[in-house]
Amino acid sequence: MNQLLRRLEPLGWNVLPPVVGVAMTAMIVGALAAAPREIIEGEVQRLMYLHVPSAVIMYGAFGFTAFASVMLLWKRDMRWDAAARSAALVGVFLCSMVLLSGAIWGKPIWGVYWTWDARLTTTLILLLIYVAYLLARSVAGPLDEQAARYAAIFAIIGVVDIPIIQMSVRWWRTLHPQPIIFRPNPALPDEMLLVLLIGFIAVASLATWLIFLQWNTERAAQRVSALRAEVDHREMA
Amino acid sequence: MDHIEYLFAGFAVFWGGLFIYLLLLQMRIRALSQEIGRLEERLAEAEAPPAARTVTPPAPPGTGGRGGRDAPEQASEVAAQDA
Repeated sequence: MNQLLRRLEPLGWNVLPPVVGVAMTAMIVGALAAAPREIIEGEVQRLMYLHVPSAVIMYGAFGFTAFASVMLLWKRDMRWDAAARSAALVGVFLCSMVLLSGAIWGKPIWGVYWTWDARLTTTLILLLIYVAYLLARSVAGPLDEQAARYAAIFAIIGVVDIPIIQMSVRWWRTLHPQPIIFRPNPALPDEMLLVLLIGFIAVASLATWLIFLQWNTERAAQRVSALRAEVDHREMA
Repeated sequence: MDHIEYLFAGFAVFWGGLFIYLLLLQMRIRALSQEIGRLEERLAEAEAPPAARTVTPPAPPGTGGRGGRDAPEQASEVAAQDA
């Protein structure tokens, strides 16, 4: 793991920031100027280029949280705890953005900001699960291995909500539209699909960069905790 | 039926949220860097010969880990992983 991290670290500082900048600019230009106007919903439909990629990358961030939690339980290496917490924080940020952009999109189309629809409710539950995970984890110290293991189990159980969210529009009658992109024949013109693809690249690179920054912060917090304990130990001696 | 104000509100929320996230992250990174510097100074002082030491108050309790290993072991492990 050490060798892999040493190889990847320069990418995080030198490559990711310009990639994120270029991709996000391309996404905004594509969404606001290049993509064709949707006939029924009008200009507000352009929120799709932000909303849909954020939702899919959010699944990825929470999936990575669960993966890092499994690795923590298996390897007992606290760097996986830092990775899990970093991905969970970015996932919570993206989930909040998905719910907010969805509410703003929903108001002119459905007439309400919020409804207790299956897709919306299960997404809100996912947000609350990982907010609870982060709160529970932040109560204990960054190097508390027992708290990290309990939180890891919680994070692994929480990820079960993702397939429920994905299937909710099929299992229940919902206001939220059925999938129009992830199916054999996407119900979108090629111009829209291209801008959406740019949106996916932009949000994925942004999330990767944020997880990298957050991981460095969590590692610094672990180092502070360890140093504080060592200073106390030496000063008492 | 364009609702262009909702479109801009959606993008503004995303960019505003991202800006606040990065601002909070930057503040936390700065605070942690300062804390690491301060603690390393205290550690160097504690490791110095008794005549060279200045008296510093102990840190509040409950700030370390409780994973069953002692403090120097955890500190050296975290430092070695970061090196």
